[in-house]
Formats: sequence, structure tokens, C-alpha cells
Amino acid sequence: MAEVNEELIVKLKQLIITRLKLMDMTPEMIDTDAPLFGEGLGLDSIDALELVLGLEKEYGVIIPDAEVGKKVFQSVRTMAQFVADQQGRT
Amino acid sequence: MGRKAFCFPGQLQEKPILKEDHPLRTDPSLERWLEKASLQTSFDLYSFTTRGNEVGFNLKLQMATYLLSMIHFYRLQSQGWVPDVIAEHSMGIYAALAASEAITFEEGLWITESIGRILEREGRLSKGAMVSIVGLPLSDIQTIQQSLNGFCLSIANYNGSKHFVLSGAEEGIEKAISLALSKKAISATRLTFGVALHAPSLTSLRGEIETLLKTIHFRSPKVPILNHLTVQPLKQEEIRDFLAQEIGQPVYWDRCVERLIQEGVTQFVEVGHGATLTKLIRWINRDVEAFSAGDRFKEGTIE
Repeated sequence: MAEVNEELIVKLKQLIITRLKLMDMTPEMIDTDAPLFGEGLGLDSIDALELVLGLEKEYGVIIPDAEVGKKVFQSVRTMAQFVADQQGRT
Repeated sequence: MGRKAFCFPGQLQEKPILKEDHPLRTDPSLERWLEKASLQTSFDLYSFTTRGNEVGFNLKLQMATYLLSMIHFYRLQSQGWVPDVIAEHSMGIYAALAASEAITFEEGLWITESIGRILEREGRLSKGAMVSIVGLPLSDIQTIQQSLNGFCLSIANYNGSKHFVLSGAEEGIEKAISLALSKKAISATRLTFGVALHAPSLTSLRGEIETLLKTIHFRSPKVPILNHLTVQPLKQEEIRDFLAQEIGQPVYWDRCVERLIQEGVTQFVEVGHGATLTKLIRWINRDVEAFSAGDRFKEGTIE
């Protein structure tokens, strides 16, 4: 597993805010380990589609299917781990 | 300055929770509207129950959706918010008609309940179902349809370039979910409906609904309503027919949003409990402003 740094975590929080147009939020307001869907930020599948596109555009990483998506979008930390791992492979 | 559209969403997919501290509960007019609704239908929004004459989960969701849209609408209206145009998605048409004064609040509620009961009965007979598929383009959705040809699946909602809803027989919908996931959809989720809404099989209900609606005198909408089928303003003389046929026809939400943008709309206000339409609009066009009145009331950014 590749190492995840704080800078990537903050950038991903910013990506979430920008892609989902959560204009009244700041990265500090998003808990790195809180669930993104349901209880946490309360995101849904339409939001997931935005995040998939955002990750592809910003980091060139692709979420191949729903199963991987479920694991990646558990929290900001799991997103960061996925991005770091994928980038480490290239 | 750009134009403003009020957008009325279709049926909620889960029971709305209005906790004690929910800002709607402090609205002085809320109790009045809920009491009116309760007297007319026996439906109580807080407890999500009906007295005596028990109805199904979907019909209660339909009544809750209508009530919450209307309550948010009256609240916006009391704050001076006036739309230039109204858009509606699926059963959001009933609240859209009431908001435009083509019908009264009571008539809208009656139509919601009456058509809802017909759909409930139809669901018991036909065992229809619906699935929301996110992440696949239209070509993949059409391939799924074709490969499940025998199940008469139809596209019920065109919500955006990668967001579609399929309607059809329950078994076919289950197979469509597996196929969609195998084609790498981001999600394929069964909706709560027990009927294949917006599928051609429901055109058989057209006559019954037309007859039902003969008791209603539809007036000319005071604010133009863009209908979700032809994407044209709904004329007074077309309303009855539209309500009778739209349950068997698809919702072209993507075209509605695009048309409104072409006509100068820059602000979309979702008038209801959730933010589904807001998110769909965000996907269709990121440059326009879209927000849910319900969310803004909760955040306190609209009083």
C-alpha cells in the first residue's frame, strides 16, 4: 500500500466540495474517516458519479465498477488510499 | 438578469423525517396545511400514518411528497420568491399544478391520492418494478433493454447522460440490475415503486384517470409549467389529458433542464424535501445555480 499524505487528503476534500458544489463547506469541516454516504456527508449515487468523474479528471484514476466504488468511497481516507495506490502503479 | 424556475420533484423514496428541531416545524402555516390534509385524506405527515383506511407505503410517500412540496412552496412564496417558470418531474406535476393555481391545494391532494390508489391497485395486479441506474450511457441502457426483450422493459426517466430509470416486470428489473452492474454501472438501485410507472403498460389506465378527472375544473396555469413529456408549456385544455397519459410515458428531465436553460433560466429552485433534482441539474449543467429550498431552509440561508 502506498503512503497517503495529508496534502492529498486536503485536495480530495476540496475536490468533493468543488464537484458536489458544497459551497458553504470547507475541507476542515469534512471528517477524514467519516462515511461519505448515508450517515456521514449523506452523499448518494448521483454524487458518486460526480466523484468518479472528478477522480478521473484530476488524478487519471478510474473506478472500474460499483464494487470497487463502494470500497473507495467509504471515506476520504479510503479515497486517498485508492488514488495513492493507483498513482504508485504508473 | 436570468430567469428563475421552481422545480417540483417526483415521489420521495423514503419516509421523510421531520424532527422536533426541523425548521419547517416552526412555520406558522405548517399546522394549517397538515390539518387540512389530514381532514381530507386522514393522512398524518408526522406519524406517516392514516386513520382507519390504511394505504400502502408508496401512496403515503406520494402524499408526503405533495404536502412537503406545497409547504415549501408556500414558504418560498411568503418570502417573496416568485418563479418565472415551473418544471416538474413525474408525480411532481400535481404540486406544480397547485403552485401555478391551475388547481387548488385540496384538488392537488385529491388527485395525488386518487391516482395513487389506482396505481396501488395496478401494482397488486401487475407486480411492476423500477430501477435507477447511474453511470451508464443511453446506449448501454438500450442494450440492456434489448437483451431482456421478453420482459418489456422501458426507459421511464431520462434524467441525464448517465442517469436513467427503467420500468417493467419485477423479474426483468432484477435481471436488469445484474446486467447494469456487469456493465460497470456505478449503482443500480431498485426504487420503492410496486408498479412500472411511466411504462407503456400503464396507458391502459388512461380512460379511468380521464373519467376520474372529469370532476376537476382545470384553470390556466398562472405561471407556465413545462411538461416533462413534450417539454412544452402545458396549456389549460391539455392538463386532463396529460395527467391521464403521463403515467404511461417517460419523463424527459434532461430535455426539460436544457430547454429551460435555453430560455434564459439561470436559477433552479427545487421545491420539496430532498435535493435529487438539484443533483441531476448539477450533472446536466454545472454553470447554472441549483439548490433545494428544503436544504436552504434547514441551513437557515432562506428564512
